[in-house]
Amino acid sequence: MNSIITANAWRFFLLIIVQGLVLQNIGAGWERFPYLHIILFPIFILLLPLRTPRALVILLGFIMGLVVDSFYNSMGVHASAAVFTAFIRSYLLNWIEPRGGYNVNYSPTAARMGAGWFFKYSAILMALHLVIYFLVEAFNFENIGTTLLNILVSFIFSMICLFIYQVIFNPVD
Amino acid sequence: MFKLLQLFLRMSGFFLFLLLETICLVLVVRYNQRQNAIYTYTANEVSGFLQKVGSDAYEYLELKERNDSLAKVNAHLLNVLANEKMVASANTGIDTAYTSGLLPQYTFIEAKVIKNSINRFHNYLVLNKGRRDGIVPHSGVVTGQGVAGIVRNVSNSTSVVMSILHQQTRISARIKGKGFFGSLMWKGSDARIFNLKDIPKHAPVVRGDTIETSGYSGIFPESIMLGVVNKVWMEPGSNYYNIEVQSSTDMSNISYVYVVNNIFRTEAEQLEQAVLKEDE
Repeated sequence: MNSIITANAWRFFLLIIVQGLVLQNIGAGWERFPYLHIILFPIFILLLPLRTPRALVILLGFIMGLVVDSFYNSMGVHASAAVFTAFIRSYLLNWIEPRGGYNVNYSPTAARMGAGWFFKYSAILMALHLVIYFLVEAFNFENIGTTLLNILVSFIFSMICLFIYQVIFNPVD
Repeated sequence: MFKLLQLFLRMSGFFLFLLLETICLVLVVRYNQRQNAIYTYTANEVSGFLQKVGSDAYEYLELKERNDSLAKVNAHLLNVLANEKMVASANTGIDTAYTSGLLPQYTFIEAKVIKNSINRFHNYLVLNKGRRDGIVPHSGVVTGQGVAGIVRNVSNSTSVVMSILHQQTRISARIKGKGFFGSLMWKGSDARIFNLKDIPKHAPVVRGDTIETSGYSGIFPESIMLGVVNKVWMEPGSNYYNIEVQSSTDMSNISYVYVVNNIFRTEAEQLEQAVLKEDE
């Protein structure tokens, strides 16, 4: 029990540091191709234990989003996407529940649920997160083409980073 | 109550989501320059649009009052105009005519038409004002376009007007600028076509002449537009023209009218009656 909390706490800080100090700078100065934004921190929301109360998931998402925003100097933009992702997580978990149901003591990780299930789960949540993030970031529908391009490119590269994270840490809980 | 509480607890995640998402968006708008600019612009557009819709709707609701006030203003202007003409004509005479010219001979009372017909032989209008408002029988009724009829009966708050589209309505008319006078009556079919009778055959009347009120009857002030001569012909052996007049008033589309009050009329009529009695 304690180890789960510790693991998540470490993941929280690690992801914030990686997101805020490393990933923020990738693609930042590319004038010709301003569509690349790697967003990795939602992994924290994805990997929260299954029995985390729904309200706590949303609250943690909010806090994490605000901290990331303080790095990006974009108060509220990441937070609104993170709150949405955290909110939609429980619905998605119900929707893609495996045949045998969940073991409530587990976390929704590749090690516990299988690589195929985890890919589906993370791809859907990551895509939704990026859609909300870029919509709030653009804040209008006039340049919807640019927004869609942002979402697509960023989704592909964020998923690649998610795989790298998975390969490096292979988190169980 | 318990069920409601349960529902609330079950929905608590959703409410928290709404709350936090709202906070996020407030933060976004508050602390991000670009989003703030877009938000301000859009909010201005939306509020401007709403304000416009609101004021349009309000104006629409106000239309009736505005019509009423405009009708009042019109009646006032007609008063001024009719009496101005009289003062001007009085001025051409000797100085003593001035005294009577200073009294306004005609006053106008605005009224709303609450009933109207044009498709019978005897058509009537009903007005929303009556004796209480100073309307007396045999007063003329005019619109902005021309003559509408003559008051027939008056009750306290309504009056019935014999429309010009009534077979027995006769209006004393003259040819503008030429002076010959006759009487105008409705032919009974087309609401815009009238007959002008009693114009002698030596009168130089041609198509296109303007027909206006003569003012002889005392019902209407003089030189109110009646219509335009449409056709002129003469029956063989007759001493008078047959003149077809296209009326200037569209009786199928009137909502406000002005009732003419001639304050000298009783005086003039009494005098006339006395003379007639003497002659008998």
